[in-house]
Amino acid sequence: MPALPQLYPYKAGPIEMIVMPGEIVGVWVNKVYNFFKVDFIEGIMESEPIEIDLGAVLAGAASATTQLALLEMPTSEFGQFRARVMDDISAIVFQGRADQRHKLFTRVATLTRFTSLHDPCGHTTEFFVHEDSFAFLQAQNQTSYNLAQTRVAFHGFRYVLTPLPEYSWTLKNLPPSWTRVPATAHL
Amino acid sequence: MEARGIRKSSAIITIAAGATPQNLYLRTAGGQNPRTVILRKILAYNAVAATTLMIGTGLAAAWAQQWPTFRLVNNQDNEWTEDQIPEVELSANLTVQTDVLGVLVQVEVDEVGS
Repeated sequence: MPALPQLYPYKAGPIEMIVMPGEIVGVWVNKVYNFFKVDFIEGIMESEPIEIDLGAVLAGAASATTQLALLEMPTSEFGQFRARVMDDISAIVFQGRADQRHKLFTRVATLTRFTSLHDPCGHTTEFFVHEDSFAFLQAQNQTSYNLAQTRVAFHGFRYVLTPLPEYSWTLKNLPPSWTRVPATAHL
Repeated sequence: MEARGIRKSSAIITIAAGATPQNLYLRTAGGQNPRTVILRKILAYNAVAATTLMIGTGLAAAWAQQWPTFRLVNNQDNEWTEDQIPEVELSANLTVQTDVLGVLVQVEVDEVGS
C-alpha cells in the first residue's frame, strides 16, 4: 500500500503542496477559519514578475509599508509563498497592513539575506495569501550606505478552491479532516 | 566551507596619504546587534613604487593593525583570497594604510549577524 504524502504548512525542505487536490482546507482570515475543497493546484516559479523591489532606501532608513499587490489571488483561490531576500535589508511582513507576522511578545522576526544561511529552503518564511487579504512588506536598511534597490523574490503554489458553506468555524460544525492555512496574522 | 555570513565588498579605495590609516570597509552597525566582519579577499594595485599594505581597525591614534603586513609589488595586481587570510573576526570598520599614496585597494568580507 503506497504511503500517503505527509503534507502540511511550513514543512522543512524544498517547498511542497500543503494538501492534495480534493482535500479540505480551513483558511484563517479575519479570526475565523473558512472551509474550502481544493480543486486544482499549480506551481508558481520564482521569477521576475513576482519579485518586488521596495525601492531605494537611504542608510538607516526604512521603505514605505508596501502592499504586495503582485501576490493578490483571484476569488476562491489562495497562494502559498516562500520569500528570498536579494539585497541587504531587514524586511518586516505584515498581513493586513498593521498586523505584523512572525512576532513574539516584544520583537518581530524579519526576513534578511542571512535567513537563507540557516534556513536554505525558506520554510520559516512561508506565508499564505487568500484572495485580496494582502501581505505587506517594509524594508529597513541597517547598512551604512544607501541601497538603490531592495528586492524580495517569492515562489510557491496556487490553490483553486470550492467553498464549503455547510461547515462553519463559528458554529463549530467542522469537517472531519482538514488542513489549517494561516492566511492572516493571529492577533 | 560553510558560509558564516553574507559576502559583501568595499568600494575601490584610493590611498590618500602615505602612512595614514583611512576607512576601507564600513561594517553594518544598524539594528539590534551590530554585525562582525571577516576579511575574505584583498585586491590591491600600485603603480607608484613597491610598498606595503596594512589592514586593521581605527583611524589616527586608534589605528590597530590586525593582520601581518602585506607586500605590494609595483605595477602588479596583488591578490589574497580567503584560504590565505587568517579568519580574524572584528567588531569594527576595516581601515587600511600603505607607505605611499595612490594605491588602489578593494576587499571582500563576510558580515556575520542575522
